[in-house]
Amino acid sequence: MKKIKYIAVFIMFFGLVGMDKGVAQCNPQAYTDACIPKLANGFNFLKSYKIDGDGGAKSKVEYSYVFTKGTQYMINICAEGSSTDGIIVTLYDSSRKAIISSKVNGQYISAIAYACNTTGIYYIRYTFDNATKFCGGSALGFKR
Amino acid sequence: MKILRILPLILLIAACGTENKKSEEEAFIESLDSVENTGPSIDENVIGEIIQQVPSPLEISVLLKQSGTKYDKSLLNSTDNISNYNSNFKKAVNLGIYGTDLGYTNIYEKNQDGLDYMSGIKTLADGLNIGQFFELETIAKLATNSKNLDSLLLITTQNFNSINQYLQEQSRSHLSILLLTGGWIEAMHITCQVSAKDPTNIELQEKIGEQKIILENIRLLISFYKDSDPKMAELLSEIEKLEKVFNEVEITQTYKESTFEIVDGVMMIKDNSESHIEITSENVENIMRVTSEVRTKLIN
Repeated sequence: MKKIKYIAVFIMFFGLVGMDKGVAQCNPQAYTDACIPKLANGFNFLKSYKIDGDGGAKSKVEYSYVFTKGTQYMINICAEGSSTDGIIVTLYDSSRKAIISSKVNGQYISAIAYACNTTGIYYIRYTFDNATKFCGGSALGFKR
Repeated sequence: MKILRILPLILLIAACGTENKKSEEEAFIESLDSVENTGPSIDENVIGEIIQQVPSPLEISVLLKQSGTKYDKSLLNSTDNISNYNSNFKKAVNLGIYGTDLGYTNIYEKNQDGLDYMSGIKTLADGLNIGQFFELETIAKLATNSKNLDSLLLITTQNFNSINQYLQEQSRSHLSILLLTGGWIEAMHITCQVSAKDPTNIELQEKIGEQKIILENIRLLISFYKDSDPKMAELLSEIEKLEKVFNEVEITQTYKESTFEIVDGVMMIKDNSESHIEITSENVENIMRVTSEVRTKLIN
């Protein structure tokens, strides 16, 4: 009987730990919601991207989108507080060549605007650099 | 000892929760009669990644307005046709078509037409059990004032994004693909018709030509279902007709490193590479003809 008691306590303990983990989990939706209104004036909202680094288990989160010539795109990053919490966005062209990264001279830039002159698939990769929460959101907008 | 007494209760609650969720999902899936869809030939996550690449038809509507093109309701699919859409295939495709039409009316601030399309969209979405993503009252309120244009565009874009995400979560990505295909065909149709009226507009011709890249994605997405869904196989053969005429269009690129400057905390990047789109008026005419043929089959 004692054995069953221990097993029950064991199950409940790990159940509670699991629940606790659930509460502490990343909620990128809150950050994407915060990012959409931060798109600069004149930009129309296109997509929101969730950035969930799974507490550091994931080194990158990647999305892709077809950018078209003659259009300007803006990508911004939102995380805990006003900073990007070490989240960097790097833009790659259709041949996977890196175009630009939002970390410049040690500074994390929270928004990039890309005046596209080459139609094609672009890869939007988010990575973490000294991040604490590994959690954020991003919005993509366009203007002509 | 108390723990032992409540343990079965905990397990029962947990099991009930799972059961409820499962039955809701099953009811949803059963409600989507569609055709005999036994699933795609590839992982749904891969499909989701390709779906999200496809640009919004709104980009084309903005281009049309900015190029000085006048609003032309006759280019759109009339909401009177809604009674023709009885199968889930037709509902999903025309939901995409009406979505593009709604974006077009919104960009031109034709609010009454926009409300008609919104109502049509709501009807089709309800028929596919995804009507919960459209709140007609909120949209109607926004549409009463042209100052709300940004909010109107935002809310409709968000609604369609939510639908796509939901359908993918429900493993019903084929409906998402149909929405996307319908939306793209309609944007192509409007652009081609406008271009035909103004053959001197080179930018518009190039816009049509560069759709070759997007067509490749759409063809790929539909092809994943060709063996499991006869309707998708039929649609694929229509899309392949379009692909054939698009093969005449040549797209080349020259690479040059990008440059940037930081303005007010925003990194402004200039793409110094360039894509060249070789497309003739004859190519545009052929693309327009085939697009029109495909669209006619979809809207009737």
